[in-house]
Amino acid sequence: MNTCNHRWSMINIQSGYLVVEGCHRCKARSSFFSTETVPPVDDYQQGEHFWTYLGSFQAVKFDLACDRCQEVVDLSDMMGLMLSTCRNPECEVARIAAGGGRGTWVYVALCADSTHASGKCVSDAGIKALAEYFNGNIKDPDKRIIVVPCIMCKSIDTCEGIVIADTGLTDIY
Amino acid sequence: MKVSELAEKTGLNSLNEYKDREIEGVYISDMVSDIITGAKANGILVTLQTHKSLIAAANLVDVAAVVFVRGKKPAEDVIELSQKAGIGLFVADVDTWSFAKKLNELGIK
Repeated sequence: MNTCNHRWSMINIQSGYLVVEGCHRCKARSSFFSTETVPPVDDYQQGEHFWTYLGSFQAVKFDLACDRCQEVVDLSDMMGLMLSTCRNPECEVARIAAGGGRGTWVYVALCADSTHASGKCVSDAGIKALAEYFNGNIKDPDKRIIVVPCIMCKSIDTCEGIVIADTGLTDIY
Repeated sequence: MKVSELAEKTGLNSLNEYKDREIEGVYISDMVSDIITGAKANGILVTLQTHKSLIAAANLVDVAAVVFVRGKKPAEDVIELSQKAGIGLFVADVDTWSFAKKLNELGIK
């Protein structure tokens, strides 16, 4: 068991596009990160899904590495972060935010598959490292960041929040 | 230098109440996704971008204040979110380059 008091730094920082697709059969949404100059927009079949391009956003991906023990946490399963503003009492994320008190901010780590059909989401190690990284860099003593996986949302498709993404140059106004 | 002192010395217009923190750096970016990898705690963020997602990013990395250049003013919900986060919002009438020169002259880098 690693007993290191980690001091995380961002590594493998990549700029690219977060490409979002939807399956017109099952209404699932999926996303992936592309480092191509122009994001791919092709429709294709994958098993029972027929994926159609819904949109793309300029985004950044990164991993975390501990400066002390050199442990690396792979965050390839995280597509983005969203500040939760959810107030649905049936949503666990909203309950965590409400229970955190003033100065507590809940950010949802978004994985690629909104249906979570496989049961997978952003890894526990990734969630823990993200929380340690952001809280470790905060200098405001009254602020605390909680990071949760999107599988914790009652429905990530309807959960309210502010996604940290650049929706396009036209949105700079 | 505190945020309030910077505002006074550079003629910034304040948009909200904020925590008057000691400035420890500056970052200039108009991309929200870039902010979480580049901006630092207690830093000043200089930008043209007024979208609410900018505040979500600035809050995550604990930015002290955001300066919107060229007289750009964000929507009321952006100001409200910033106030809740204690992040000072300011408007500079000059462009990014001119404001960056002012910061440099004041020794903020």
